[in-house]
Amino acid sequence: MIIQGAGRTDAIRDRADVVVVGTGAGGGTLAAYLAERGWDVVMLEKGGFFRAEEFSQREEDAMADFNGRRGLDSTNDNAVFLNYAEAVGGSTVHYWGDSFRAPSDRLERWRREHGLDWMTESELAPHWGVIEEELGIHITPETLFNENNRLVRTGCETLGIEGHPPPTARIDCVGCGWTQFGCAYNRKTSQLITTIPRVSRAGGRVYSDAAVQRLVTSAGQVTGVEGALLDRGTRAPTGSFRVDAPIVVLAGGALGTAELLLNNVDDDVVGRRLYINPHYFVWADMGRPIDNQTGIPCAYVVHEFRRTRLDERGRYEGGGYIMLTNHQSPAIAAVMLGGTGAASTERMRRYRHLASVMSVIDEDLPGRVFIGRDGIRRTEFNVRGIDQLKAIDYLRNASRIFLAAGAQEVWIPDVYGTVVRSEADIATRITLRSVQPNAQFCAGSHLMGTAPLGTDPSDSFAGPTGEAHRVGGLYVADGAALPGSVSVDPSLTIMGVARWIAAGIHDRHGRAGA
Amino acid sequence: MPALSRRGFLRGTAGGTVAVAAAAIVPAGCGRSYPQAAAVSLQVLSPKEFAVARAAAEALLPGVPVDPGAVAAAIDTELAIAGEPMRSDMKTVLSLMEHGTVLSFRRRRFTTLSVEARLAVLDDWARSRFNLRRAAYQALRGFVLYFAWIDDATRTVTRFPGPWPERVQVPVYPVDFGGIA
Repeated sequence: MIIQGAGRTDAIRDRADVVVVGTGAGGGTLAAYLAERGWDVVMLEKGGFFRAEEFSQREEDAMADFNGRRGLDSTNDNAVFLNYAEAVGGSTVHYWGDSFRAPSDRLERWRREHGLDWMTESELAPHWGVIEEELGIHITPETLFNENNRLVRTGCETLGIEGHPPPTARIDCVGCGWTQFGCAYNRKTSQLITTIPRVSRAGGRVYSDAAVQRLVTSAGQVTGVEGALLDRGTRAPTGSFRVDAPIVVLAGGALGTAELLLNNVDDDVVGRRLYINPHYFVWADMGRPIDNQTGIPCAYVVHEFRRTRLDERGRYEGGGYIMLTNHQSPAIAAVMLGGTGAASTERMRRYRHLASVMSVIDEDLPGRVFIGRDGIRRTEFNVRGIDQLKAIDYLRNASRIFLAAGAQEVWIPDVYGTVVRSEADIATRITLRSVQPNAQFCAGSHLMGTAPLGTDPSDSFAGPTGEAHRVGGLYVADGAALPGSVSVDPSLTIMGVARWIAAGIHDRHGRAGA
Repeated sequence: MPALSRRGFLRGTAGGTVAVAAAAIVPAGCGRSYPQAAAVSLQVLSPKEFAVARAAAEALLPGVPVDPGAVAAAIDTELAIAGEPMRSDMKTVLSLMEHGTVLSFRRRRFTTLSVEARLAVLDDWARSRFNLRRAAYQALRGFVLYFAWIDDATRTVTRFPGPWPERVQVPVYPVDFGGIA
C-alpha cells in the first residue's frame, strides 16, 4: 500500500519487522528483497508520491515537486549545485538510467583500504545480474542515439579515444528527452515503478511525505523511528508518525542519511567525507540543428580517461574522469551556458545547435556534510588540488573531441567567456582560473560516502555487513554506505550493495518479527 | 537544475560574514523610494530588493521576450516558498548589489545605473578575484535566467518546441502499485 502522508494531521503508529528510510536505489532494492521473502516492511519517504501522469516535463514542476530543496541546494560557498531527488523512488526518479557495475579496480581499493573483503565481482555479480534482469538493463541501442551522441562518438573515433554506449535502465524508451524530470511514460525502470510497487504488493506500507527526524534507541539497539508528516506544497509539518521495528535501514541518500545520523548519533565519522563526482559542462556550437533535446540524455560514454595517470614520481599526468553526453532543458541550459547580458541571450539563440558533454570527475579530495549552528544541514565541497587538474584535463579533451567532430566553436562556460576554436586555443585558453569556485556552473549528483562501511570504527560508520558499529540493528544501504567514489554512475553499485546487505539481514535474522 | 541555491553561501565564503553584517545595517528602503514595486504584491522581498532584481533582469535579459518585473516577481514567489536560509541570502545579495558596501565602492545605487553600467557591475563581480563576489553574481544571475527562460514566450528565441506531453501522445505503461491511500 502506498500511503500518502501529505496533509494528514493525525499521529500514525505502525510496527514492522524492518523500517527502511528512503525509497531510492538502495532502499527500494533492499525493501523489495525482504518484502518478497516474508518480511513485514515499512518504507518512509520524505518526498511526495508522483506518478507518470503527473510528470509534465516542465522544469519548474520537476524542481518544485521532487528536486531536493526545490532544486536550490548547493555547497556553502555556492560553488557546487547539489542535485538529488526527494520523492517516492528517490533519485532514480530523475536519474538518467546509466547502470554500470562498479569497476574491479574500485572494488579492489575498497577491499584493500577499508577491509571490505566481500566486495568482489564474484560476490556482487549474482545480485547485479538479478537487478539487471528486473530493471531490463541493456546496452543503449543505436535507435536511442541522437545527433549529439553520434557527434561525440565521431569525435572519439577520429581521435582514437575509447567510448561506449552505456547500459541503461529503460524498457521501450520513446526517447522523449526528459527523463530527468521523471519518466512521463513509465519506460525508465526507476524504483518508483519497479521495486516500490513490489514492496506494496507484498504487503509493505510505503509512506510518502514522511520525514524521519529521530532514531529511537534503547540500550544500544535501535527500536524504531519518529518523524513528521509534511504538506506537499510548503513542506511544513502537519502530522506525525512513529514506527517501531527491531531493524532500521537508512537509505535516504548521502545527504539525508548523514543529516539524520548527525542529529541522532554521536559518531564523528558521519559526514566527514562527501563524494559528489563533480560535473562540468562543455558545449559546442555545431552551426546546424542538433536538436539535442530529444533522445536520451546519455547514449555514449567516454571511458578513455577514467583511470588517473600519475608519473613515476606520483605527479598528475592526466585522466581521472569519464564524460557523458549531456543535454539540458532551456532554463537550466541558460544557467549553465554562462555569459552576461547579450552574450547569454546569443548563446540561447543557438540552443538547438548545441552539442554537449559533462564530466564525472573521480575526485580524490572529498567534501563534508555537517549541521550548522542554525540546525540546518550544510555541505562543503571544494574542487581543489589534483581534482582541479582533472577538471582542466577534462575540459581540454572534451574540446578536442568536439573540434574533431566538426564544432565551429567550443564553449567553456566560465565567467571569462572562454571559447575554443583550435588545438592552439586549448592549451592557452583553458587554464586553472576556469575551475576556481563560482567561475562556472558545477554540479554534483553522485552523492556518496557520508556514512561509509568499513572495518575500522574510527574511519567508518558501519561494519562490512552494513550494520552500524555503535548502534545495534541500525543499517546503512545507500550511497552514504559506499567508502568512496565509484568513478561511474553509482546507481547500480548502490543497488547491488543494498541487495547484498538485504541478503545478509535475511540470512542472519530470518524474518525478524516471526 | 538552476545554479541558484543559496544555502548560507554568503556566510561560507571568505569575507562573507563581514559583507552580510554590512548589508544588514543598510535600512530596507535606505531613504529612497522604489516605485518599480508599486504595482506588485510582494511576499518576502522589500520594494528595494524587488527593484534590484528587476534592474538586474533588465540588464541580464536583452532580447529575451519576458517582463523583467515578472521575473523579479517570480523570484519573490520562489523565495517565499523555499524559505530560509535561501531567502535571507538572496535578500542580502540584492542589498549588496544595490549598495556595494564592502564588496565594491560605487557612488550610485545599482538601480540608478544605466543598463550598460549595470552590466559592467555584474561583469566586474563575475570576474572578481574574490569568491564571495563571484558567488553573489552566480546566485543573482542564476535566479534571473532560470525564471526568465522557463517562460514559454522564450521559445521564440530558442525554437524549443516544448515538452512531449504538450504535443505528442504516447501511451503510459500501466503500473500496479498495489493500492494507494
